[in-house]
Amino acid sequence: MSHLEDAEEEAKTDMTPMIDAVFLLIIFFLCIDFKTLEAKLPAYLPKDKGSQSTQAEPVEQLSLKIVMDDFGQKEPRRRGGQLINPQTGRENAYMVLGHKIHWMLGPKPYQEIERLVTDLEKIAQDPSRRVPDKDNPGQMKLMSVVIEPDSGTTYGDVAATVDAVSKAGFSEINFGGGRGPRK
Amino acid sequence: MAKSSKASQEVDMDMTPMIDCVFLLMIFFVLVIDLSQKDLEDLILPKAQYAVPDEAPPDVRPVINIAQDGRMVYRKNTYYDPVVDGETEQVAKDKLRTLLIEWKEEIVTDKKDEVIGGRKVTVVDDPVLVRADKWTEWHWVGLFMTACSQPEAAFWKLELALSEEDKEQKQRPDAFR
Repeated sequence: MSHLEDAEEEAKTDMTPMIDAVFLLIIFFLCIDFKTLEAKLPAYLPKDKGSQSTQAEPVEQLSLKIVMDDFGQKEPRRRGGQLINPQTGRENAYMVLGHKIHWMLGPKPYQEIERLVTDLEKIAQDPSRRVPDKDNPGQMKLMSVVIEPDSGTTYGDVAATVDAVSKAGFSEINFGGGRGPRK
Repeated sequence: MAKSSKASQEVDMDMTPMIDCVFLLMIFFVLVIDLSQKDLEDLILPKAQYAVPDEAPPDVRPVINIAQDGRMVYRKNTYYDPVVDGETEQVAKDKLRTLLIEWKEEIVTDKKDEVIGGRKVTVVDDPVLVRADKWTEWHWVGLFMTACSQPEAAFWKLELALSEEDKEQKQRPDAFR
């Protein structure tokens, strides 16, 4: 009888360490989500803006306009949530469905960003698109790109455009004047 | 004899669960209280296709968070709120000037004096990291840029923050079907 009891005791495994380890892993993977690695894109502002007496020198630049076709429909980001917070009267976090833009590189329109990247890459390879480098006299550099976002375009639209322009090989990226908020 | 061996068995305490719990708490706090993330508001950034990863960022750097409604936040403090302060460019410039001058005096290290348009200006060569929600209207980011271009501030290098994944599609896959 006593031998039988011993055998029963040995067969019982202690589940505590396994449960602990599982909790540990759950917490680890839950928290790791907070720290999504971010990426960054460089951009420049005109240094002489705000100075009254500056005479801007004419510089050859590539103009890239972002035109909004349809802002789209705002939808609460939280499933089943409300767009307006009834307590504060302010908008809750939203996403936009059906947002549509196109790009104008000079007079040429582009509906897909991939085609824009292809053409920008061709321009970046073209030696006739090089301009004298003011900082290194006697040297030539690739012309700068001026991105002009239409009113109603979003940070996501502009960031994707800057991303595409950098991919094509342009390093000097500036922004054109704002056109006010969407009415 | 039998009694004493029973007593010594009871005194033996199993430390494993306690050590497990301590490790668990330690990992939890190490991951949650990450000091380098205190500058970053919980925004959904647009997804990067080609941008360079923001690896090993400096401990202190100028970071502006721009919410969907145009609120501009640095370290949990709102410096400009269009709903409260009004939407004019001058108000935004005035409200943000304090923050930009604070950055210029206390945070940035790379700055030099230049004569621009006949006026001596201290130009900042350190970049400002701009973090905005993917659906924040560009108008608000443009307004921040205008404030950066003021001669008193003279920040001219920016970095636009992007994310390596689109958290929105992850959160609401139903909306993108």
